[in-house]
Amino acid sequence: MAEDVINAEETEDKKPKSKDEVRVAVIACERSVNLEGELNQTKLNGVDNCDVIQVPCSGMIQPRMIESAFKAGADGVIAMGCQIGDCHFREGNKFCRERLLGLRPPMIKKTVPKNRLQGYWMSEVQVEEFKARIEEFKIHVADELLNEAAEG
Amino acid sequence: MLTNIVRGGQKVILRLEDILNKIFSSEQNILYYHGAMPNFFMWMLFLSGLLLFAYYTPTLEAAYQSVEYITKKLPYGDVIRGIHRYAADAMYLTVILHAIRVYFTDRYREYRIIAWYSGIALSIFMLVIGISGYILVWDQRSLTIVNKFAEFLAALPFIGETLSHGFINGDVISNYTMSMSFFLHTGTSFALLILLWVHYMRISRPVVNVTWAIGSLLAGMVLVVAGALPALSGEEANFNAMLPSIPLEQVDWFYLWLFPLIDTVGNYGAWAALILGLVVVTLLPNFVKSEDSEPASVNKDSCVGCRLCSIDCPYEAIYMAPRNDGSKYKELAVVINDRCAECGLCVGACNFDAIELPTYRSTEVMDDIRIALLQD
Repeated sequence: MAEDVINAEETEDKKPKSKDEVRVAVIACERSVNLEGELNQTKLNGVDNCDVIQVPCSGMIQPRMIESAFKAGADGVIAMGCQIGDCHFREGNKFCRERLLGLRPPMIKKTVPKNRLQGYWMSEVQVEEFKARIEEFKIHVADELLNEAAEG
Repeated sequence: MLTNIVRGGQKVILRLEDILNKIFSSEQNILYYHGAMPNFFMWMLFLSGLLLFAYYTPTLEAAYQSVEYITKKLPYGDVIRGIHRYAADAMYLTVILHAIRVYFTDRYREYRIIAWYSGIALSIFMLVIGISGYILVWDQRSLTIVNKFAEFLAALPFIGETLSHGFINGDVISNYTMSMSFFLHTGTSFALLILLWVHYMRISRPVVNVTWAIGSLLAGMVLVVAGALPALSGEEANFNAMLPSIPLEQVDWFYLWLFPLIDTVGNYGAWAALILGLVVVTLLPNFVKSEDSEPASVNKDSCVGCRLCSIDCPYEAIYMAPRNDGSKYKELAVVINDRCAECGLCVGACNFDAIELPTYRSTEVMDDIRIALLQD
C-alpha cells in the first residue's frame, strides 16, 4: 500500500509546474554556505519553496536521504558541501560528489530523477551566490518537468 | 575575541581560495596544497642536498673551499646550491602558510592533535637543520653562528654547558665541530622524515603530492630566485676577525632570526621568548573549549561488514573486527572513539543504518526532510 502512495506521488510530480511552484529541498553541510539568520526553521528566507536541512558534513548525505526528499514531494534536490578541495573533514564533499556522479557506493537508485538533482560546492561566504543559484535551479527543474511530461 | 579573529581569518582564506578556484580550478588551486607544498620542497632539498653531499668536505680547512668548488667549478653546482638555499626558504614559508591555514580553519585540535604537536616539533627540527646548514658553508657568518649559538646554549641553566659543549663537540671549535654540524644537518633531516610519518598518522589518504602543474610552478619559482640572487659564500671564516653579530643583510629571516633576536634581547631574553612562544603554540588547542564528544556508534544487528565506512573514514577511526557472535557476517565495524571527528562520513557510506551519529541519526535527517516538505 505504502508503495502505491509513493508511486502516486511520483507520478503527480511529473506534471509540469511553473518556476514559482517548483519545490526545492537542499541537504546542506552546516559548514558550507553560512545560513545563520537566513533560515526560518527550514525555510530559506527570500527564496520561495526552498527547504534546507543541515547535516554536519555533505559526506554524511546518504542516497536514501536524497530519495526521501523526492518522495516527500521535492521537485528538485540539491546536495551541498564546501568547495571541492576544502572540506573540514578532508574528503566529505569529494565523496558526496562521487556518489552524485554514481562513482562511489552506496549508489543512488535509478528511479531518482538525476536531472533534477544537483550538487553545489560553496563556501561559508557565498550566501548571495547560493540564493541566486537556487533561483536558476528552479527554472532548470521547471524545464525538466516539462521535458519529462512531454516524454510521457 | 579570539573566536572572532579566527572566524574573520577563515573568511579571508575562503574568499581567496574562491578567487583562485575560479581562475585555476580547484584541482590546480595552490592553496589546497598547503600541506603538500612543504613536502614538495623537502624532496627538492633532499635531492639537491644529496648532490651537494657528494662534493662537500666537513673540515675547517676544506669546507669553505669545497663549497667554493661546488659553486664555481662544478657544472650547474651554483644552480644546485641555489635550489638548496631557496627551496629551504620556500619550505619554511609554506609551512607557515600551512600552519596559518589549519589554525584559522579550526583544523588543528581534538582528533587532529597529533598533527598539531608533531607539526610544532617538525618546525623546530627545520630550524636545527637550517642553522646547522648555514654553519657548513664556513664563511664569516658561519663562525658567528657557531659562537653565538654556543653562548646561547650555554646560557641555559643546568644543562646549558653540556649542550654547548656537545654542539661545539669539544672545548674549542675544531673539525669535530664541523662533523657535529654536518650530523645535525643531515641526521635531523632523516629524523624529520620519521616525524613526518607521525604527522600523517590517523589521516587516511593524506594529500602529500602537488599536481604536475603546481610542482613545475614551484620548482620554476625556486630556479628563478636562485638565478636572480645566486647563493654565495661570504669571506672565509677567520678566527682573527670574528664578527660580533650577523650583519642584518646576511640574515636568512626564516632560519636565522634567532641571532638578531639574541642581539636585541640577549641570550636569556631569547630563551624566554622561545620558550614562551613554544608554550603558546603548544597550548593553542586548549584555548578553545571542546564540545562534548559523541562519537559514531555501530549497530551490531545491522552491520553487514561491507567495510565502506572504514574505507571512507578520513581519520582511520573505524576498523573491521572479525566477529564470532553467531552472525552470518564475517566482520563488524568498530569505532575508535577518541579518533572520531563526528563528521558523519561513515553514515553517508552506510546503506544499512548500521552506523550513526548519536547527535543526528540518519532516520532523524530523513524525518526532518519529510516534515519540512510536507509542512505546506
